[in-house]
Amino acid sequence: MNHEDHHGMKMDNEELSIEEIEIKSWKKKLVWAWIFAIPIAFLMFSERLFSIELFNEMTMTAIILVLAFPVIFLTGWSTIRGGLRGFISFYFGMDSLIALGTIVAYITGFLTLFDIVQDYSGVAAMIMAIFITGKYIESKARGRASKEIRKLLELGAKKATILRNDKEIEVDIIEVKVGDIIIVKPGGKIPVDGIVFKGQSSVDESMVTGESMPSEKNMKDTVIGATINQDGILYVKATKVGKDTFLAHIIKLVEEAQGTKVPIQKLADKITSVFVPIILVLTVLVFINWFAFTQDLSRSLGVAISVLVIACPCALGLATPIALMVGSGIGAKNGILIRKGEAIQTMKEVKIVVFDKTGTITKGKPEVTDIYSINVKESYLLEIAGSLEKLSEHPLSRAIVAKADLKKYRSVSNFKILRGRGLQGKIGNKQIIIGNRTLMKENKIDVRKYEFTIVNYESEGKTTMIVSENRKIIGIIAVADALKEDSLEAISKLKQSGYKTVMITGDNETTAKAIAKQVRIDLVIANVLPEDKAKKVEELQREGMVAFIGDGINDAPALKQSNVGIAMGTGTDIAIEAGDIVLAKGSLIGVVQAINLSKKTFRKIKQNLFWAFAYNVVAIPLAVSGLLHPIIAEIAMALSSITVVTNANLLRRSRID
Amino acid sequence: MKKKILIEGMHCASCASNIERSLKKVPGIKDVSVSLLTRKAIVEAEDKVTDEDMKKAVSRTGYKAVSIEKD
Repeated sequence: MNHEDHHGMKMDNEELSIEEIEIKSWKKKLVWAWIFAIPIAFLMFSERLFSIELFNEMTMTAIILVLAFPVIFLTGWSTIRGGLRGFISFYFGMDSLIALGTIVAYITGFLTLFDIVQDYSGVAAMIMAIFITGKYIESKARGRASKEIRKLLELGAKKATILRNDKEIEVDIIEVKVGDIIIVKPGGKIPVDGIVFKGQSSVDESMVTGESMPSEKNMKDTVIGATINQDGILYVKATKVGKDTFLAHIIKLVEEAQGTKVPIQKLADKITSVFVPIILVLTVLVFINWFAFTQDLSRSLGVAISVLVIACPCALGLATPIALMVGSGIGAKNGILIRKGEAIQTMKEVKIVVFDKTGTITKGKPEVTDIYSINVKESYLLEIAGSLEKLSEHPLSRAIVAKADLKKYRSVSNFKILRGRGLQGKIGNKQIIIGNRTLMKENKIDVRKYEFTIVNYESEGKTTMIVSENRKIIGIIAVADALKEDSLEAISKLKQSGYKTVMITGDNETTAKAIAKQVRIDLVIANVLPEDKAKKVEELQREGMVAFIGDGINDAPALKQSNVGIAMGTGTDIAIEAGDIVLAKGSLIGVVQAINLSKKTFRKIKQNLFWAFAYNVVAIPLAVSGLLHPIIAEIAMALSSITVVTNANLLRRSRID
Repeated sequence: MKKKILIEGMHCASCASNIERSLKKVPGIKDVSVSLLTRKAIVEAEDKVTDEDMKKAVSRTGYKAVSIEKD
């Protein structure tokens, strides 16, 4: 199993080098092609531009034929071979057009010797040299386009220091097994996913989640592989290795997304698949027609070659995937994982953004929000409450214990949990009762004096706990599921952009309304059972397309039902299967970024498709009508695919937040 | 069954669509998506389709399947 994991990682690395090898090989071809093509150009132009005849025509043709041979058949060999194979297998590609164009042009050189036709052999060499140059520039630009994704692949640690038999040993990453204790020194990379076993430190997780603030790690906290330990030594117990790690999942997501299609590209894809055969037929027709009307073999051949080399299926075929690649790379860098290309297109139509409340708008974990102490110090109140609540596992209790953060707890006797009402116990000789109004009433403790404060907290959606000591109230502690820091900002940004914002929750009306008021959301749908969320989304869809944002674990049906499902991940619990877009960090501003990124990427795709279509629609008729010299035609073709890739790379300059 | 084929030598959009067409012709292959940029074909096929079948379909178009991985 482990061996296979290793293989998987290795594959990805090898693929990287394939890309670099390709750039290198184009570069080598480019240098050699021009070493021969420059003298050819000089010979061709010296005659035409300056009417300097260095040699007689026969010698000149012979020299060009000799010089052109290595350009076409050595540096251009892979293109020629691939192209000719198309004529045997009937799977025609771009290469078939270039191969046919250059070979026909080259042959004219020999025919010139018998005075049959004008010499295009120099042109053939120029076409090949320009084609190779174009491919080189394109491969470089494509390398830039995949920069972010490649960085992701290189993110993983190669080595790990593990503790075995009380000894620190350095091992290859693939040898780390679940359960191993890994030592991560300050500045070191945490090699795999795990939980902190010993030590504390802050960890920079920006490379994986896009979250720029370092995250504090203590015992039992989860850590993510490939993140950087900053200041303390961490002992991490490995929980996930190889293909199971968070990083491996992200890489898989991003890779798979590259294979998905954006609906708008369908037409372009259809055209690409029949493009080359159509151009071949067109070329033959053009040649026959030109020859029939002009009786000029040289001119007819020139026009035919122009048509062959100007047609560019590449720009059409690259337009969408290259923009998707740049877009998803930028996303991955910011913790936004686009799983399906389709989501990018659908996003543009979305009118309503629906949020789940718990864990999406709020942190999903109750926290103490207010402490109101009466005639005692706040620290004393927390000490008493914390000591008692420590003995309970209730989420509200845990919130108070976390807030009190006591080093030493008071010893409690006669402790009792009063289900649904609160707790009681004795600290020293003092009787402590903590709980809600009902509990106080049962014990005949008068709360009327503080009724106003309590009601006020409740109207804010908070749960209050009244703390009494010897039947006297010493304080009120309010607990609520706190908002995430950027929820308000994110929702107001969405509203500014014209989206209708909706919150769905299982909470009661009061709590829901209180939260809604704080984040200024447009519409609240409360008291919704988890299984009914999808139905509510369906109802909203009657008004317009809906994007649903939820945690991906409980909200899977609603994510599926919506037009664009955005799943929120936190830490290592990433819901891979749910959602068209997955957010690696838990913050809501990621939703705004995801929407902006989708829109911008889609706009790039549209621009690219427009240029690619427009190029072919304009250029092919120009070539057919004989207005373009074959060399100009080839330059135009090379530029068209470079333009598409460069334009996609420009996406990197736009802001998404 | 989902498989990932790494393909060598593919450098234009027509190539990708040729490979896609060729793979789709193999009986038992239900869905194919070839990505020019990742140089990978993701194939959804019945279990009866062998790696050999897929390799042949790729080489028929003039390219080489470097490796086939189960996804």
